[in-house]
Amino acid sequence: METLTCRFGGVVAVSAVSFAVGQGEVFGLIGPNGAGKTTLFNLVTGLTTPTAGRLRYQGHDITGLPPHRIAALGIARTFQNVRLFGELSALDNVMIARHVRTHSGLMSGVLGLPSARAEEHVTRQRAMDLLDLVGLADRPDEQARNFSYGDQRRLEIARALALEPQLLLLDEPAAGMNTGEKRALSELIRGVRTRLELTILLIEHHVPLVMDLCDRIAVLNFGQLIALGPPAAVRKNPAVIEAYLGDEA
Amino acid sequence: MNASLLVQQVLNGLAIGSVYAIFALGYTLIFSILRIINFTHGAIFTLGAYATYALTGASFGFNGLLANAALPLHLPFGLALVGGSLFAALCGVIVERLAFRPLRTRGADPLLTLVSSLGVAVALVNVIQYLFGAEAYSYPADPFGQLPMAVNFGFGGQAILVRTVQVIIFAVSMVVLAALTVLMNATRTGKALRAVAEDTVTASLLGIDTDRLILLTFVISGFLGGVSGTLVGLSVGIAGPYFGIAFGLKGLAVIVLGGLGDIPGAVVGGLVIGLVESFVPSQYIAYREAVPFALLFVVLLLRPQGLLGRAVVQKV
Amino acid sequence: MPAFLSAYDFLLVSMVLAAVLALSLYVPLMAGQLSLASPGFYALGGYIAAIMSTRVFPVTGGLYSVWLVLLEMVVAALASAILGLIVGVPALRLRGIFLALATIAFVEILRVVALNLTVTGGAIGIFGVPQPFGTQIQYMWVGLPLLGLCMLFVARLERCRAGRALVALREDELAADAMGVNPTRYKVLAFTVSAIIAGVVGAISAHFINTWNSRQGTFDTGVSLMAFVLIGGSRTFVGPVVGGLVLTALPEVLRGLADLGGLPAWFAQFLRDGRLIIFGVLIALGTVFFPHGLITPAVLRRFARRGGGKP
Repeated sequence: METLTCRFGGVVAVSAVSFAVGQGEVFGLIGPNGAGKTTLFNLVTGLTTPTAGRLRYQGHDITGLPPHRIAALGIARTFQNVRLFGELSALDNVMIARHVRTHSGLMSGVLGLPSARAEEHVTRQRAMDLLDLVGLADRPDEQARNFSYGDQRRLEIARALALEPQLLLLDEPAAGMNTGEKRALSELIRGVRTRLELTILLIEHHVPLVMDLCDRIAVLNFGQLIALGPPAAVRKNPAVIEAYLGDEA
Repeated sequence: MNASLLVQQVLNGLAIGSVYAIFALGYTLIFSILRIINFTHGAIFTLGAYATYALTGASFGFNGLLANAALPLHLPFGLALVGGSLFAALCGVIVERLAFRPLRTRGADPLLTLVSSLGVAVALVNVIQYLFGAEAYSYPADPFGQLPMAVNFGFGGQAILVRTVQVIIFAVSMVVLAALTVLMNATRTGKALRAVAEDTVTASLLGIDTDRLILLTFVISGFLGGVSGTLVGLSVGIAGPYFGIAFGLKGLAVIVLGGLGDIPGAVVGGLVIGLVESFVPSQYIAYREAVPFALLFVVLLLRPQGLLGRAVVQKV
Repeated sequence: MPAFLSAYDFLLVSMVLAAVLALSLYVPLMAGQLSLASPGFYALGGYIAAIMSTRVFPVTGGLYSVWLVLLEMVVAALASAILGLIVGVPALRLRGIFLALATIAFVEILRVVALNLTVTGGAIGIFGVPQPFGTQIQYMWVGLPLLGLCMLFVARLERCRAGRALVALREDELAADAMGVNPTRYKVLAFTVSAIIAGVVGAISAHFINTWNSRQGTFDTGVSLMAFVLIGGSRTFVGPVVGGLVLTALPEVLRGLADLGGLPAWFAQFLRDGRLIIFGVLIALGTVFFPHGLITPAVLRRFARRGGGKP
């Protein structure tokens, strides 16, 4: 329920980046391409191990934990290049993420024990609810790969939410969306944050979205933290402006 | 331990090892360029051995469809070796066109290509068995004419003998290693090959004729396979078509140990396995067959990139 | 009917056992793991049954008790599970090609070991494994329930939470990990289930073919199993079963064709002996044209619709 602190000393992509995210914040992470933002996400979710530094979450040191343990602790994410389970249906994709919140093992599942079946029913229901939340409840059985890019991104968010996370990491969720979709996404993120009491960490290139949504923003360039603060301050920061000179936001 | 016994065992190990090395060179070359494991190398190896045998005019045995068949040729061994290896190269190219190219154009997982190559290898070897039966064959005893049967590395009155053919195999493996290294590092073709290895799409965008280079890779690999098959057949006899599969399996151990795709690694891997096999104590000699696979298993667990390979970092 | 059954009894039972063995390749494949280790566990199971029935519970005359066969199957299952865990936990950290190679190595090591131990009969193997049944077709009493049970097990596995985890791993192991699925745990689980199935089939097979040696359960077997799953279908449990049944029957059908006469001698001979050639070519064709095999979930859905829709 408290804050997340990240202190990483270089993996080459991320160099001595350190910040703390407060509970309930929408925290933005921006920077030119290759600045190390996704690497940072990978560090936080355990897909990569930091060379130095520690990760603290809710008062615990979670450095070096494997991704599935971090997911169990309540940190969920979406991916920069959508990583859905393409062959599976939308519903199945979301149901899989219920894995850590459910318990039936192999034998009880195979034998069809009542506890397993009841749990399956609940899982299915929760998954449908989440699909409904992101507006995809009309096509639960459609293969995930058949969805449009924008819909896939929304599906990925639904999947991440199925983890019942307290911290949600969104990696460029608005990529490939048009203005209308971006607005809807913004609404969704705000809504989700309030309803589910989430803390959100957001990587995004679309600067207006970030300025609009985020309580605080961190700016990375070449793996280093060059600015940290509320949107208004960051926007005026000379180092940030310089970093973006070559890069159209 | 007796010094000359030690030397003998080392030399034996190198002899066995260079047999593996020659086989592995063609095997690992394909992986270095295409990132696939071409299990048909074992079948190509067998085809080369059989083709050379046929070209020397010898006849095939009692079983099989072509029992007692013989070519109306009696080429001297050297020419037969070249001819047989060219035939092997041709077969390699045909396999590439028919089995691997469709997978490549579909962007298939390398695992699928491995599976396909397993199927093709088993099919080819069984075709050979169907045509020529499963018996063992051996080449004419004196293929190189005047050379002595064995070379003596002995000192101080103790004879340490290594068969001439084994010395030749070792020499050939070194020559091939040198030639391939020169090719890959010092020629334009080599640079182009390495570009293809990095990224086929980019290479072709740069104007490199990837198709022709891939063909070249298979020609070289097939030729090497044929040469190694013939030399091995010369050294230990052709124990029937399945000896290619056995080699194909052992070859996997060699190239993984040396580092997949690493050309000097193929030789290092081969020599190491040969030496380890040679030093298996006599009471465990029956388990010698398992040595390459035990080494393969251990290497995969501890250091999958092999002795000379670089660790692969997976980008998320 | 009885004549048909007795003429083809060996084939029919072989088909059923092959189908079960194909399922043992399928389970790890559900998680995207190509494991060619099943032949090793098959060999282990066979040796356990052969040793138990010739040395531990030797029979003097008449039939061997079916209950003892079932006991052997249980022992084989346990041994395979244990060996599966021992081998699986380290090996399953490997991915893709590396895992396939490790399993190939495993089978070869077992083969050489079996070839040399006295308890396994060395190169000769074990002969005269006692029979629990008077005729071969009676093996169906064990074979068919075994197939039914395994099919049921895998079918239910496909639908439950654990099965979903396996499929997620197949689709995208990293994403599955990030969504809370412990990859090692489930891969080892699938591998162990696969080992148990293969071990049990091995145990019954030792009795069925009356003898067991190091030529049972080798790399070749692995290639055949691959053909069953690759051609039959790798995305649904029905695929391997159909693949195992059909591709085991195929050589016999071809042999029958060859015996019909009227075919050129070389072709007839090919039909008779070319089983592995055909399998090999089918595998190569399958990877290109049917990467998921012939029986896919889509095909099953169409079947279901046609069955349920049209009266």
